[in-house]
Amino acid sequence: MIKIDALTVQFGGITPLDALDAEFVAPICGLIGPNGAGKTTLVNVLSGFVTPVAGTILLNDTLLLALSPRHRVGIGLRRTFQQELVVDELTAMENIQAIADHVSADRTSARREVDAAVNFVGLSERRNTRGRQLNLFERRMVEIAKTLIGRPKVILMDEPGAGLNESETERLRRLLVEIPRAFACQLVLIDHDADLIASVCAETLVLDFGKRLAMGQTRAVLDDPVVRRAYLGRE
Amino acid sequence: MTEISETKIIETEIIKTEITETEVTRITVFPPTVPAEITPGIRAVAIVAVVGVVSGVIAATCGGYWLSNFTQAYCMVMAVLGCALLYGQLGLVSLCQWALVGVGGWVSLRVYHYIHPPFFVTILAGGVGASMIGMIWGLPALRMRGLYLALVTLMLAAAFQTLVFVISFPVGGPGFLGQVGASGNDRINMARPIFASSDTAYFLFVAVVTVLCIFLVEAHRRTKPGRAWALIRKSEQMAVASGVRIVFYKAWAFALSGFVAGIAGALLAGLFGQLDASAFPTTNSIVIFIGTLLGGYDVWLGAFLGGLLTRFIPALLIDLNVNTNVGFMIFGAALLFALRDPLGLGGQLTILAERLYDKFQAQRAP
Repeated sequence: MIKIDALTVQFGGITPLDALDAEFVAPICGLIGPNGAGKTTLVNVLSGFVTPVAGTILLNDTLLLALSPRHRVGIGLRRTFQQELVVDELTAMENIQAIADHVSADRTSARREVDAAVNFVGLSERRNTRGRQLNLFERRMVEIAKTLIGRPKVILMDEPGAGLNESETERLRRLLVEIPRAFACQLVLIDHDADLIASVCAETLVLDFGKRLAMGQTRAVLDDPVVRRAYLGRE
Repeated sequence: MTEISETKIIETEIIKTEITETEVTRITVFPPTVPAEITPGIRAVAIVAVVGVVSGVIAATCGGYWLSNFTQAYCMVMAVLGCALLYGQLGLVSLCQWALVGVGGWVSLRVYHYIHPPFFVTILAGGVGASMIGMIWGLPALRMRGLYLALVTLMLAAAFQTLVFVISFPVGGPGFLGQVGASGNDRINMARPIFASSDTAYFLFVAVVTVLCIFLVEAHRRTKPGRAWALIRKSEQMAVASGVRIVFYKAWAFALSGFVAGIAGALLAGLFGQLDASAFPTTNSIVIFIGTLLGGYDVWLGAFLGGLLTRFIPALLIDLNVNTNVGFMIFGAALLFALRDPLGLGGQLTILAERLYDKFQAQRAP
């Protein structure tokens, strides 16, 4: 569970996040908002790359802001990035092994976790293929597999569906729904695809200009006229 | 009119057919298949085979001047190996590699004259000494990269050149600096190991150490540190989000790079018995970086070829009685080639070898 209280971020005269309060309780939560709403800034604050000027964040009763980015990984916080960052020279399995080297308890559990993650995302037959030879969907799967290593508690996924076609998005959707149950963790999904959010997220937070526009049951939030006007551009 | 039209049609058809055939031929010659995976065992055999054959030919055919130069060239290979590690794995431009070779030489001579340990301990001391200094010199890399890091490391190399001109290399005299008095007759040479006392034996000994250094670097590149470096190079934020300790792994890379350079320095000290400050100009560090680009920084063969060329070309110019500054012009021209083809000579040859291996595997398959 993530509890955000009065979180404020300032870059010079800009305030990307302004006294934000939010609570992510459901196994899969969504985070949406128009461009510049502060979604990625929030993910960067959660993962420790941006320091807020005020506010607190609790991750399962741990004060997150007191921890360094690496220690946050140690307590089970994982994330993907908007831009996929698979290393071209390493194989799919080596890309996943690279995180297991640092977060798994020992070599045996690292091997087991890597195998489980590779099988889960359906890359078993492509495990020895170099990053440069993987297609976009497979590269996205490698990114997701990396977040499943080392007993994750909360996974932040920043637009995992970007650039995927309809059938690939459907496969991604089926995979995302399975993650909390299979890996006993919470998933926070940041995406522009309202359909994807609606179909997998129980709760959703909508940001607009760094402020909370709405939060609650996803269907109700997406049907909110204020949200439809600000985010979807229609009533 | 009709005839002309028919001719045109026929010509068009011929051209079309030729293009199609060419395309078919091209596809046949270079099939878009995934190259067979080169296992660590095959890579190890390739390293031993290539360095072994080249060394065997040199040992059998060269003597005196050329044997000495090829021994120095192998030391250059180790220096390039470290430089390629930093640039290829982390994208860091280090222009102080030759100075680290000098540090290794200084430390090994100091240790040798102080306690006269076995030769292996002497060269290890040189490696460890340069490794520690390399780690300290790598500290700026925690905050900067690219041109700024290149300039800072170049200044460090210049500082070492100045320092070593002042304090010189130990020659068995009294005190920490180990200098002799007015008389040069008191200088003591560092002894080579008994089994490598001749020039040829010493060259082969250096070749074996070169292979061991290549193994050491390759073992790092293919395991946990190599994967951590790959993540750091791709994105430091992503590496941190993967639990990688950035400072630790960058320091590790600088330490390893310094270690192989230090070993090279100790082996140079063993080759000549003593070292001279004039042998460690700042420009050599730049030449080593050029050698890294020319050979290719992603494969061990690149470091091997790059290192050999950086010594072979100046030696050839001296042998031909040509001004050695011409070497810089040759390296400059070669750099243009390297910028056009980032794989370098070693990278191109490796791809060729992988294709041949792939074909061989395909022919063996039932």
